[in-house]
Amino acid sequence: MTDTELRLTLPATPENVIVVRQAVAGIGEALGLSPPRVADLKTVVSEACNNVVLHAYETEPGPLEVTAEPRDGELEIQIADHGKGFQPRANEGDPSLGLGLPLIAALSDSFEISGGAGRGSRTTIRFGYEAPEPSSNGAHAEVSDGLEMAITPGVMVKPVLARVIGALAARAEFSVDRLADTVLLGDAVSSSEGQDFADGLLGITIQDGDGTLHVRVGPLVEGGGERLMGEMDVPGAGSLQSLASRMEVTTGETAVGETAEFLEFEVTS
Amino acid sequence: MGSDRGISAGVRTGELALERKDQGVAVLTISGEHDLSTAPNLRRRLDGLIEEGVATVVDLSPATFIDSSILGVILDERRRATEARLGFAVVRAGGSNAVDRVLEVTGLRSELPVHAGREEAVAAVSDNAEGSP
Repeated sequence: MTDTELRLTLPATPENVIVVRQAVAGIGEALGLSPPRVADLKTVVSEACNNVVLHAYETEPGPLEVTAEPRDGELEIQIADHGKGFQPRANEGDPSLGLGLPLIAALSDSFEISGGAGRGSRTTIRFGYEAPEPSSNGAHAEVSDGLEMAITPGVMVKPVLARVIGALAARAEFSVDRLADTVLLGDAVSSSEGQDFADGLLGITIQDGDGTLHVRVGPLVEGGGERLMGEMDVPGAGSLQSLASRMEVTTGETAVGETAEFLEFEVTS
Repeated sequence: MGSDRGISAGVRTGELALERKDQGVAVLTISGEHDLSTAPNLRRRLDGLIEEGVATVVDLSPATFIDSSILGVILDERRRATEARLGFAVVRAGGSNAVDRVLEVTGLRSELPVHAGREEAVAAVSDNAEGSP
């Protein structure tokens, strides 16, 4: 058993499927899955997300909820929505020609679908893996119009954050150099031991738009923002801070309404 | 030669590039990751080529990811091309990633069929195009 977990909530739009795919692939890599199995994982997760994007919500895209939890040698992924649920219907408007579910069935070790009309749907997919489980690690992410993640500092942070940042930066049409800069800043945040984070979880919010990624790290303990900025100094090479178009320590509200410190920065394409 | 989205990054979202061959064949190369978000653009490009009346080769060799919506577009467009008596072929040279797994598992590598080289595919659609309008 382990309490390793990724939770991600974001609007069920076609553009967000790549973000989920990359985040879960980062977990798969961190668990030591072979490249072909990571490829299978990406396909299976994408197909399950496609079902939500295409069929769950009638008008406005509602939430697409994803969890990934390794336990007892299996990575269990759940993809859920609060939409109208699975309803028997012809394939009208489905561009996949019904190939989605067979792909999930063929490439996962097991899968099941639950829910019903008006109750939303939940697809549970299991992937076996043989690598040793990583140290205690947890992740939680939610999105309003951007993406919010909370991850216990540890081995999973770097691959998950790098892939999520990569997907968002590619979507924002970043150049290779600017993408590399953004990933470097993400790595600097990933390498934190966690003592500067108010609740022991590495919290990060990323919003994209107009060719800019707005990143907010925290909530942090008092003085944590300055220390994180200090950790970005590279001996003899200045500071990674210069890669951001703006970086500052701010004060804001946490999810539970308390005042805390945050480190905010922007990277522009 | 036209490129739809000049994105090049660690995670590459979908990119399409069109090349015209001497034989009157159009080669549409798909690179990076393609899914539900890029399928409509792929469909528009292939619809346009079929409406033009040219034989088409879809080269998946540089693609790193395709999902079932992309397979759906390719199958739809192949049907449209066949109805219009136009050559239509798919290429996947090398590679060992999610694209190959999806082509194998769905049986489409033999069903389409998928050619191992671009020249072979161009020759196949050129033959096919002979005698068509």
